[in-house]
Amino acid sequence: MASKVTLKRRSHNGPLISLVPMIDVMLILLVFFMVTSTYLNLDMIPAVRQQDQPAATAATPGRTGTAMIRLGADGVPVLRGQPLDAAGLDRALRDLLAGDPLAQVLILPSGSATTQALITVMDVATRAGVQRLRVIRLEARP
Amino acid sequence: MKLRRPAPAQHSETIIALIDVVLFLLIFFMLIGRMDATAPFEVTPPLATTGSDMPAGGATLAIAADGALALDGQALDRAMLDSRLAALLAEDPDLRLRVNAHRAAELRHVLPLVGAAEAMGFRDVVLVVTPADQP
Repeated sequence: MASKVTLKRRSHNGPLISLVPMIDVMLILLVFFMVTSTYLNLDMIPAVRQQDQPAATAATPGRTGTAMIRLGADGVPVLRGQPLDAAGLDRALRDLLAGDPLAQVLILPSGSATTQALITVMDVATRAGVQRLRVIRLEARP
Repeated sequence: MKLRRPAPAQHSETIIALIDVVLFLLIFFMLIGRMDATAPFEVTPPLATTGSDMPAGGATLAIAADGALALDGQALDRAMLDSRLAALLAEDPDLRLRVNAHRAAELRHVLPLVGAAEAMGFRDVVLVVTPADQP
């Protein structure tokens, strides 16, 4: 006479996949991103805009004045032959804009001036309220 | 009198909270970090008070104080730059070019490149600056 054999599945205790390696990997990724990231706070100043095409400026109605700021190699801006500091340039530009709010301001920098000097002058002009600001440069004829 | 051992505490709840926090931090750092290739030389952008927020995207042209060039973190010379920029522009005609010049870089190293990019057809060229407080 055959006896009955009962086989029982062993019940699983706990989750099928262990979470511990996943936590390890996530912690390593977290530490990696925290350590390798450098956070830079950067802004931008447009140098070429889409509407900067020559046709757009030629279409400006009425007569508007133009002032040219020459930027020397030492970083000192010169307006109408007069070297100015930032405050003096700001005053001169505000006087100019008081008479003609759409006056065009051209900046002709020396090639030996630093980028910081140009950005500072552009900054002063923008703060003074200049709407039409352009940077021009001399180019050798080929 | 029978003393019973207390049943082992279930730790699953605390582990789930830990995973939540770690995942949240991980996603936070992945989202707020902008993965930009850094130039192989030191570049400190000039200070400006009137800059506007710079959105992500675009190609970055780094210019060192001595005029050395790098496009998207890769050093290259002037001749190679034109072909690389033309290739990038052919892929995306509206590509923004970010000119990240060192604040002490002389403008003869910077402005001709901006002019060349404009002549090449770039319609959106920006100078990268570091925001400064109002004087």
